[in-house]
Amino acid sequence: MSRLSRTGAVIDRELRTLVRTRSLLAVAAAFAAIVIAVAGGAVGAPGGYVSLTLDLLTIVEVLVPVLAFGVVYRSIRGDAERSELDVIRTYPVSRAEYVVGVYVGRSIGVLAVVAASLAVAGALASFASPSAASFLATHSAGDSPVVFVRFAALAMLYALAVSAVITAASAAARTTREALAVGVALVVVVAVGIDLAIVGLLSGGAVGDGLEALLGVSPASAFRGLVIELAVAPALASPPPIPVASPAVSLLGLAGWTTISIGVAVLAVWR
Amino acid sequence: MTDSVVSLSDVHVGFGDVTVVDGCSLSIEAGELVALVGPNGAGKTTFLELLTGIRRPDAGTVSWPAMAADAAGDGAGADRGVAYLPQSPSFRPGFTAAETLRFYASLAGTSVDPGSALARVGLASATDRRVEALSGGMTRLLGIAQVLVGDPPLVVLDEPTSGLDPEMADHIFVTARDIVDDDRALVVASHDLVGVERVADRIIVLADGEIRLDGSPADLREATGADSLRDAFAAVATSPDHDRVVPPTAESSDGVPADRAPDDAATEPEVSRR
Repeated sequence: MSRLSRTGAVIDRELRTLVRTRSLLAVAAAFAAIVIAVAGGAVGAPGGYVSLTLDLLTIVEVLVPVLAFGVVYRSIRGDAERSELDVIRTYPVSRAEYVVGVYVGRSIGVLAVVAASLAVAGALASFASPSAASFLATHSAGDSPVVFVRFAALAMLYALAVSAVITAASAAARTTREALAVGVALVVVVAVGIDLAIVGLLSGGAVGDGLEALLGVSPASAFRGLVIELAVAPALASPPPIPVASPAVSLLGLAGWTTISIGVAVLAVWR
Repeated sequence: MTDSVVSLSDVHVGFGDVTVVDGCSLSIEAGELVALVGPNGAGKTTFLELLTGIRRPDAGTVSWPAMAADAAGDGAGADRGVAYLPQSPSFRPGFTAAETLRFYASLAGTSVDPGSALARVGLASATDRRVEALSGGMTRLLGIAQVLVGDPPLVVLDEPTSGLDPEMADHIFVTARDIVDDDRALVVASHDLVGVERVADRIIVLADGEIRLDGSPADLREATGADSLRDAFAAVATSPDHDRVVPPTAESSDGVPADRAPDDAATEPEVSRR
């Protein structure tokens, strides 16, 4: 049997779990309700997709880690708690196959909720905005759905990184209480903690020319910087005179958080 | 010629300063139903984890001659060499018994007919029942159906009858007996001395991390001069928490149930055979 088939079996199990667990559906519904409510509140306001993107940026930045936590944190820990992990270990499945299967399955759930919520928010903006865009901008200035599509795509990358971090916590924790505590701590650290630390370094004069790189270290800052640089700035008539962030460093930062977290989960899930 | 499915050679396991398995050596062969008995804290679960490959010894070697060298533990891609049913098992809620078996079959790279697999353990009526709706005994039976997925040569059950009524416990022991064949061995840890005496080919008494006795039920009774496995157990098994783990049979008539967990009473140990 191929590696893909075994990983596929784990993915299938995670997806079925997501759609059958009411508490997870409630978390997803709450996320969607908040995002759509914010978008709905912005209907009629001038600014179009750029405005909507900026309205949702902070909400998504904070709520995606909360959503990922709700969907992911009990995944591996739950199997361990039931001793089902010991059963799984007697099957010819590797740590990487199992962890990647869990991560992909749960991440599909997170991505689906983020994508659906933002799609509804974007649709609201396109149907209800008094100044709905009548053209498509691909690389030059101008408000268009492309701004929001880029924002949604970057939100997906952010969600993948944060889901990986929570997967690592779920794999490394030895008790459910520990998983809960570590998961909540990571949500706080990812959403605001590292940003606060960077602000502290800035105010202390400890950051010279390395701010762009430093912002890439924080998943939230990396996401924010990418949205400003790749989604919002191209649509502005007068882009910011200095770059807010380095897209390359920010992308590397998100990729790093994702791959390192999955690596940690693979090493920690069983020894 | 017999085929060894697992061998331990001078195995040691400890947690900090506490030695849990101390210099154990044995070989288990296909066709054997081996019962592992001992007081609480004797190291039974750790011993079983060594047999499954879930735990690695601090010293000594564990080998599974009947399967590929990488099939235990993180044996991705190999045939399933060892099956395990942990103590007090449970399965991911939201799935039926049939779906649970199908998931495990997909991990083993095989297919399964859930109806037949569940009927084999007496659980045919629960095929489409969600696992969280199964009783404790039915969950154990689902677990036993699970251990047969992939046709592993070694099956390890950790106290599969604990907390169950006598009828269900008997059914589980009979089911365990039925799944042993010429190509498969089964190791079961249990406090149910009456049950294991009835079905086991071989009994290993573990105490303080050491194998105190190893032989057929008849051999153990003869070696200890006891009339029953319970008395043989009382003669050799000690617990770090008790002066003696089982009262003599004569004393057990004073309100001590014959099948009670053997560490509930305390008197002096008599002998150690190993």
